[in-house]
Amino acid sequence: MKKTALSRRSLLASALGLTLAGMIWPDLALAEDFKMGLLVPGSVSEEGWNRIGYNALKGVEDQLDAKISYVELQQNPASFEKAFRDYASQGYKVILGHGFEFQDAALEVALDYPDTYFLISSSSIHEGNVIGLNTDTSQPFYLMGVIAAKMGKKAGLVGGMEIPPIQQAFAGFKNGAKSVNPDFPISEAYIGNFTDTTAAKEAALSMISQGADFVVPNASGATVGGYQAIAESGPDVRSFSIFSDFTPVAPNNILGLYVADYAQGVVEVVRSIKDGSPPTENVVFGLKDPKVISFTLRDDGPVSVPEDIRAEVKAISEKVAAGEIKTGAD
Amino acid sequence: MEQVNQGVRENVYPQAAQALYRTLSQAAISAVTPIAAVLVALAFGAALLWLNGFNGTDVVTVMIFGSFQDARSVAEILLKATPLILIGAGLCVAFRCSIWNIGAEGQLYVGAIAATFVGTSIDGLSVWVHAPLVMLAGALAGAAWAGIAGYLKVRFQASEIVTTIMLNYIAIILTSYLVTGPMKDASAAYPQSARLVREAWTPRIVSDMRLHIGILVAVVLAVALYIFLQRSSRGFALRVVGLNPHAARYAGMDVRRNVMIAICISGALAGLAGAFEVAGVTHRLYQNISPGYGFEGIAVALLASNNPLAAIISGGLFATLRSGSEVLQITSQVPQVLVLVIQGMVILSVVAFAKFRDILRIAA
Amino acid sequence: MDDMMFLTFLATLVGAAWRLATPLIFASIGEVFSERAGVLNIGLEGTMLVGAFCGFATAFATGSILLGLLAGVGGGMLFGLVFAFFTITIKADQIVVGAALNLLGMGLTAFVFRTYYVSTGKGIEIAQPIHIPWLSDLPFLGEAFFRQNLIVYSTILVAILATLVLYRTSFGLTLRAVGEHPKAVDVAGRNVAAYRYAAVMVGTGLAGLGGAFLTLGHSNQFVEGITSGRGFIALAVVVFARWSPIGAFFVSLLFGLFYALQLMLQAQASIVVPYQVLQALPYLMTIVTLVVVRGKGAAPSKLGQPYEMR
Repeated sequence: MKKTALSRRSLLASALGLTLAGMIWPDLALAEDFKMGLLVPGSVSEEGWNRIGYNALKGVEDQLDAKISYVELQQNPASFEKAFRDYASQGYKVILGHGFEFQDAALEVALDYPDTYFLISSSSIHEGNVIGLNTDTSQPFYLMGVIAAKMGKKAGLVGGMEIPPIQQAFAGFKNGAKSVNPDFPISEAYIGNFTDTTAAKEAALSMISQGADFVVPNASGATVGGYQAIAESGPDVRSFSIFSDFTPVAPNNILGLYVADYAQGVVEVVRSIKDGSPPTENVVFGLKDPKVISFTLRDDGPVSVPEDIRAEVKAISEKVAAGEIKTGAD
Repeated sequence: MEQVNQGVRENVYPQAAQALYRTLSQAAISAVTPIAAVLVALAFGAALLWLNGFNGTDVVTVMIFGSFQDARSVAEILLKATPLILIGAGLCVAFRCSIWNIGAEGQLYVGAIAATFVGTSIDGLSVWVHAPLVMLAGALAGAAWAGIAGYLKVRFQASEIVTTIMLNYIAIILTSYLVTGPMKDASAAYPQSARLVREAWTPRIVSDMRLHIGILVAVVLAVALYIFLQRSSRGFALRVVGLNPHAARYAGMDVRRNVMIAICISGALAGLAGAFEVAGVTHRLYQNISPGYGFEGIAVALLASNNPLAAIISGGLFATLRSGSEVLQITSQVPQVLVLVIQGMVILSVVAFAKFRDILRIAA
Repeated sequence: MDDMMFLTFLATLVGAAWRLATPLIFASIGEVFSERAGVLNIGLEGTMLVGAFCGFATAFATGSILLGLLAGVGGGMLFGLVFAFFTITIKADQIVVGAALNLLGMGLTAFVFRTYYVSTGKGIEIAQPIHIPWLSDLPFLGEAFFRQNLIVYSTILVAILATLVLYRTSFGLTLRAVGEHPKAVDVAGRNVAAYRYAAVMVGTGLAGLGGAFLTLGHSNQFVEGITSGRGFIALAVVVFARWSPIGAFFVSLLFGLFYALQLMLQAQASIVVPYQVLQALPYLMTIVTLVVVRGKGAAPSKLGQPYEMR
């Protein structure tokens, strides 16, 4: 009791200076609305990771007639738990924490809100109402690696920061390439953030100058810089478009598109929650879920993958989907 | 200029009248001016919202009052205020001594690293020993990191503005290296350290809220620094060095020693803030442990006119705005970066109001 | 690495270093002007962001890179006007105002970008490298020096012009005097405030140009926080360069070199050093250099101090 009194006094003291007592939180939303909230670590305005989370939220709004809301937390761990709590206490049924870093906070809050489902992107957790959703990006990257090793001389990978979704993707690429040619040279560089398009561009340019003819950038908002480098280096440099469609940036270089419709995956998971049959284990999307992950090769571009390689890639893709080939690390 | 004026006044006014005058003027600075400045900044924010098709009044109804909906949300504000008050109060000391320590962000990071090291590598201590040990480690590391810049300044005349900025980058890169390498949690795929052992956690004030005793430590330290600066001979020496290093040297003061003390105090508080973020909030070290508290702390100190006591209020205010901007985005989808605009405007209006007040005083 | 590989590596390195240095060159030379007149603007980061955004938005609307660059300069100067008003006219503390402008620059550009450009996705056409007959085709040297766009080349011009203006014109002489002995300038009947305004305008205009280069001369997009700390690095460059425009040019190049080297060495599979060590290198080097070229004799004596007119 003493502790409580102490805290109340300090709370009062701080509130006093701003003379803000007596206001009541306007709670306008109706109880029966199905509501979903989203926590993203950065800005949804960039093509990249955060936009993917936002698109998932919009998908749920459109297809499941849900009320939605999102908050950008600027990678600030101190805010995670509060944001989860804000949503949960306002009756949100599903809250998506878009990134593994939200996991600890969700576990903490989930204990107090057993009726709310906490989905965590890029996580393999399943504890009660906290459910991890993972897109196995190593699978499409494995296919890219196969194509690169068959068609090219050297590959370059430009990453943002060394975080699991990116490490996992690059591991897939390397495993794919090595399955074709164990000595296929691949260089890798991290720019150390997700905003510096200039650095992403220069990193790609330097790889190209050192002989890389397959370059794949993967740096969220800064990714576009990598494609510019590729486009400026002429049609002999090949690439794949990842997450968003970057073909307008590098129309002469992109051989294929990996599009993750994470939104569709999330919509299905949320639908199952809405219908009262939530997932019983953590969810992993892969090539087995063509609605979620699609890897398509272009036919309309000036360059394209030859027929024989296409056939091989298709066969490998089917094996990956069936779980016969392991694409990721360890 | 403010400081130079004060220096002149010190000769003119008798001691008691001067103390009274200063107390009153500081009360004015720390109460009236910021409130008016905040109102202007909010009005600017409202106009910005309105011009861009949002509901302008949300700035007040949601951003400010929305942050105070219940005890828990107030506790969350205080949680955010903790590092801001610590860093802000510490920087007041450095700034008073005319040391432009821009490196609180880096000092926070090394504090967090040291705290994580102590909190994960030792086990079996009582909470009464381990939790304070973690805080001490953070403070010492922060002081040492700031001390590098201090040493380079006094020994090689290297500008601390530059060295502290460089040390920020180095500390952040070091953290990135540690959580992806040597300090990485072996059991997880993610770049994060292992969890601190429970005894190392900063005790909470109320068991079901995240608010920890860090806020009390912050307030106590801010008051202590105020007394230190205003009442102790060392504090007086620091201020004299800040006003006029040549005069200080002439008066027999060891300028170098005072510079080192001031910058290390500011570093210690920033490091302590880092320790609290790890031991009190996240319980793990991450790559982005701070959303820029070190830079916001600069603004907190400046808004407080380098008065550690006022830093308690300005730190609380900035935390309220930050918290409110998150609420505003949740309810009205207003981009959260609005908070930066309002914070910037708060500082500018405080500056403008302070000058306005000076003009009034001269006229009177 | 064999010799050919090594030469290619060097050529690419130098080319990349110059491009990466370009925004730093503009911003730091601008800041030299400002600081020579006694005005320390730590709001460079925010100013560069404003330049980057205004440049992008204008080029996006008009399709013209030239207009975009002008808008970048104009946006920077407009921001600089606010800075000058507060620090010179109101005589507020320069560090305080600079800190506020960093917040404002970051917040305003992100807020407006977020509100109007979120779903555009598509970028703009950027300035293309100039093909100089014969020179651009030289082996190695072509890659290193002669395949840049006009904005990159203009850094040389800016460095030379800045030096001439600062040391060979009466404007430059007076401007430097304003940073050293404002009283003397005042007594001589010149307006100290006007010179400081002019210096800040030059400084923020160039900072805006440096920001605009990022969106118009390098990547074709605005990304929130695209400057990624370059405004702060530019401040370090000025001190490192001992307040000389030519010095700022070469110190910026050195930074660009380290940055490029860091990115390129990471890509070398044979190098096993953690990439963070390479990333930290430029920052460590700055500190070491400050210690080696010790002394702050070159700093304008009235740096950071408002001037009270008689």
